[in-house]
Amino acid sequence: MHGRGGQGAVTASRIIATAAYEEGKYSQAIPMYGTERRGAPLTAYVRIDKVRVRERELVHNPNYSLCFDPLIGLQQAVANDLKPGGKVLLNAPYAPEKSELAGDIEIATVDATSIALETLGRPITNTALLGAFSKATGVVSLESIEKAIKKYFPGRLGDMNIAAVRKSYEKVSPWVPAKNKVAPKIQVDLNVGGYGTLKDVSSWRVFYPEVNEEKCIGCKSCWIFCPEAALEWKANNKPAMIDRACKGCGVCANECPVKAIEMKRVAGA
Amino acid sequence: MSYEVMVGNKATAVGCKLARIKVAAVFPITPQTTITEYLSEIHASGELPGFEFINAEGELSSQVIVQAAEAVGARSFTCTSGPGLLYMHHPMQETASKRLPLVMAVVHRGVKSMQPDHSDLMSQQWQGWLHIYVENAQEILDTTVMAYKIAEDKRIRLPVAVGYDGYVLSYTAEPVEIPAQEDVDAFLPPYKPMPSILPDQVDPKTFGAGWGEGDPMKPWQMHHEAALNGETVIKEVFAEWGKKFGRTYGNGMIEPYRVEGADCVITAMGTIAGTAMAAIDRLWTDGKKVGLVKIRSFLPFPRKDFQEIAKGVGAIGVFDRSCQPGMWGPVYHQMRSTLYDEEKKTPVIGFIGGLSGKEVRVEDMMKIGEKTLKVAEGGKPEAPIQWV
Amino acid sequence: MSASQRMTRAQVPMEEMILAPGSTCQGCGAAMAARLTFKVLGSNLIRHGIPCCPDQVTKHPRVGAVFEGGGASLTGTARGLKAIGREDVKAVAFFGDGGTYDIGLQGLSAAAERNENILVITKDNEAYMNTGGQRSGGTPKYAETTTNPVGPNSRGKGEPKKNIPMIFAAHYVPYIATASVAFPEDLMQKVKYAKDIIGFRLILIQAPCPVGWRFDPAKTIELARAGVQSGMWPLYEIENGTAFKLNYKPKELKPVSEYLKPQSRFRHMTETEVNEVQTNVTTNWQRLLKADEMKTVVL
Repeated sequence: MHGRGGQGAVTASRIIATAAYEEGKYSQAIPMYGTERRGAPLTAYVRIDKVRVRERELVHNPNYSLCFDPLIGLQQAVANDLKPGGKVLLNAPYAPEKSELAGDIEIATVDATSIALETLGRPITNTALLGAFSKATGVVSLESIEKAIKKYFPGRLGDMNIAAVRKSYEKVSPWVPAKNKVAPKIQVDLNVGGYGTLKDVSSWRVFYPEVNEEKCIGCKSCWIFCPEAALEWKANNKPAMIDRACKGCGVCANECPVKAIEMKRVAGA
Repeated sequence: MSYEVMVGNKATAVGCKLARIKVAAVFPITPQTTITEYLSEIHASGELPGFEFINAEGELSSQVIVQAAEAVGARSFTCTSGPGLLYMHHPMQETASKRLPLVMAVVHRGVKSMQPDHSDLMSQQWQGWLHIYVENAQEILDTTVMAYKIAEDKRIRLPVAVGYDGYVLSYTAEPVEIPAQEDVDAFLPPYKPMPSILPDQVDPKTFGAGWGEGDPMKPWQMHHEAALNGETVIKEVFAEWGKKFGRTYGNGMIEPYRVEGADCVITAMGTIAGTAMAAIDRLWTDGKKVGLVKIRSFLPFPRKDFQEIAKGVGAIGVFDRSCQPGMWGPVYHQMRSTLYDEEKKTPVIGFIGGLSGKEVRVEDMMKIGEKTLKVAEGGKPEAPIQWV
Repeated sequence: MSASQRMTRAQVPMEEMILAPGSTCQGCGAAMAARLTFKVLGSNLIRHGIPCCPDQVTKHPRVGAVFEGGGASLTGTARGLKAIGREDVKAVAFFGDGGTYDIGLQGLSAAAERNENILVITKDNEAYMNTGGQRSGGTPKYAETTTNPVGPNSRGKGEPKKNIPMIFAAHYVPYIATASVAFPEDLMQKVKYAKDIIGFRLILIQAPCPVGWRFDPAKTIELARAGVQSGMWPLYEIENGTAFKLNYKPKELKPVSEYLKPQSRFRHMTETEVNEVQTNVTTNWQRLLKADEMKTVVL
């Protein structure tokens, strides 16, 4: 299950595990151990079986891959290493035929972000995707998901989450085989926790800084306050985003004294 | 060659000076406090130019200070006892993991009292260091110098703990021959860190290395192999010392005493080995052919040596000056594991004594020898492990 | 004082000494602090680290030590360098508040008392953020953290923040300063000034944490600025435990509510509690003004 730090992927994994147990199955929910950074991609895992699950390694070859974040859903990594005929369920505002994910897989989509905004008023997609998961895979029933949600979200919050679950149950697309059977060579690494310098954090961005060079007065406020030195200072005395280094935090736009930087939503986000 | 009747703690300080240590960080604790004072005098006198002496505010900091000094390229030293060693437990492991050739004197003070037993250093078996136990003041001085050569050997690059019993050795004065500085300089070359971390020498590729890359088993395997290399290097270094300075300590790993022709052997570490030697002599006089194997290197354990010795004796009596509650003595377990696969089954029996400074006398060691002899002659031991 | 190293925006070195991007959260104040600090220290140093948030990797050899070993590790490096005749290389630390205020306090205090030749730079995000945001000695009163959550039995942290600059100034060391990522030139001047002083130096940089303090990551600098302008994080320097200089003296302090309100870690505070904080800040500010007037502190 792929998502971003702070989006509730870990909670979602526990809800599925709880739902399975409600049905008399055994389950296990594993977060990806390591430092969780706000905005960084992270992965959680679930195992469901008729007998008690004993192994504890990460799920290296899943039957299903769920992706809570539309941008992360564009990355081939969410479709890698699935069992042959594995299924990928994406939170995406497009039909599965439009997905570029490749491999011996089937893809389904549901616009969980819109559903979450309608039912919860916030783009928190973890529960909104679970209804779709139930309908599309049949691994756990809608009833069990709802029972599990009540355990994690009591009262009115639980009701709102259940509304989200029911909507995504209705709206999930059918399964469609991937267009390409062969995965591309160049892929973005989704395992970005821990320490050290990272190669590319572009997958962290939901917004990116757009510079209006005409407005810019060359004061360098944006440049000096960027935590990642992700703005290069060009020869014409204007800043430009360095794609692999910008996390889209928005400090530069916030600090610009003349509002020459606007944070624009990344396409597909 | 000069000599002086000096206490064990002073022999440590003199050994450090001969080894031309550059940095020492120390903290007082009985029974090693006087080492720190001798070192402070060496510093104050200016007789060791460039020597940086730090009075740390605690043993944990002492360990970290000398760890950092070694990393930067300065041959360093620290010392402690008992609870001070336990306090160092956290960073002590890092000194070994970072492959730093530090030498540390551990003046034994048991964990349950101020008096000596080996529980302090034994409790740190897991830290990845080499452990050498010594028996007299001369051996302290010689071993302190040699420990640097062993530690800094590129096949090892691990810290070495030199343990000796508090009070009976730290404060007892004995004649000690002091080798000439030029001879020690010829024996012990200057220390070079591997790798250098000075900014003008470091490999820039090491910046930004991510955590936890590569096979997590590999550092353990490398560390383990390096510790095992101790056997080869210890034997080499002690042989070289013997040639150069005329003093040998067995083969460095063990020091056999009247083992040739013996029907059985007993083993001991530290000052008790000295007591045991006196007992051995009396036993032979009584016609009882019991030998002593003084164990010097506990880690790495002298496996090959004991596998060889076991071929020629009827039983081995292991004396442990520490007891891990619920698990008995560490030397006993090492011995049995060492001999388990051998074709000839040599009985190994255990004795635990001298804990919290309880005096072990010649008579006690004689009894241990006799009990071991009985087993060698086919008798059953009273118990697999006996409290002395 | 660092005024001798005065730097304008145009004079800020362009060269980056960080190897970015790092693995910190979006908008990380500690990453900003690292980037600015290492712009002015050159490359002839050995950087020391202990457990804390990753801030930024820099182009320097790095020595790590156990959490409580910061002061000792710096000492060993500085003394070792002296012993091998390489005092040209600087021993520099970049630590968090945990390793400075709490578990690391003993070792740093001892290093200060011995006046070791080390430069300690602490990025203070006011909690143990790397392990998820537990309270530290640097957590301010009323802040909610994961180990003092607000509930019927708790108003968040009940105790005031430790006054680390004054504690270390009371060791009579050559240089102590506070700095903020919102005042980058002031920060860099101080680091540059401290660089070549012999003896123990400590610079404490406030590093707002969007995840732990719970605010929009775009506002990191805005909040840091509010901290300084409200008097919650005054900027000053102390030399030898006596000479004192207040670096930023606005005509009027902004109200503390401007600083507290945008941070959800303070959202539970009542008006009374906010007033309490305001009173404390105002009183403290008067003391600092007095010290600045006299050019000295009494320690």
